[in-house]
Amino acid sequence: MPLTIGKIASLARVSADTLRYYERERLIVPAAKSAGGYRLYERDALRRIWFIKQAQQCGFNLSEIRSLLALRGNNAACCRDVRRAALEKKLQLEAKVKAMKAMSNALTHLIKQCSADDRPTDDCPILAAFERTNGVKRRRR
Amino acid sequence: MKIELFYTPGCEKCVEARDGLRATAEAVIPGVIWRELNALNELDYAVELGVVTLPAIAINGELVFSSLPTSRQLRRELTKRKAA
Repeated sequence: MPLTIGKIASLARVSADTLRYYERERLIVPAAKSAGGYRLYERDALRRIWFIKQAQQCGFNLSEIRSLLALRGNNAACCRDVRRAALEKKLQLEAKVKAMKAMSNALTHLIKQCSADDRPTDDCPILAAFERTNGVKRRRR
Repeated sequence: MKIELFYTPGCEKCVEARDGLRATAEAVIPGVIWRELNALNELDYAVELGVVTLPAIAINGELVFSSLPTSRQLRRELTKRKAA
């Protein structure tokens, strides 16, 4: 029995707006429309929505997920194609983790410089560090 | 000079191109060090070099090609570095 957008959204724990957005992004299409123009989905669409959600949780964006779904439906593709996509995503995530660790370390360094006392913000070493350009301290107005 | 090819296992593109690229490298730079690294086993090093797509080629620890070059592109790059 076909599912309405509200029903399938509830089963998949996403909003109806999300499903409409997926449709605009060509990730999911309703199987039919009712006489009243309402979207109707086959139960198989649930698997596709879960697929999208799981892939998003692993860091894939919607465009990449579209490619993964295409791989899933391509008889000429095989597991190593998916593995390569997963490995490239992991490399991108690890690069982001590395960049964020560097940011965190920079903040640790700045926090250590600040004694957190009642000095005015003009003397705040953290703000001063942000104002520095190439090691040259900007003149205060 | 050291050339490192980062690959993902099962990559047919890499296998097909690898021998030709290696021959090019050895012809331009006799004695060149050629390493082939499984990106999954060398993940930290790959991230350190900025590798985010595979296959990729680094020369002397610097990411130079983020996809497989043609033999001609590799030859041009190596010749430039040899002259520098």
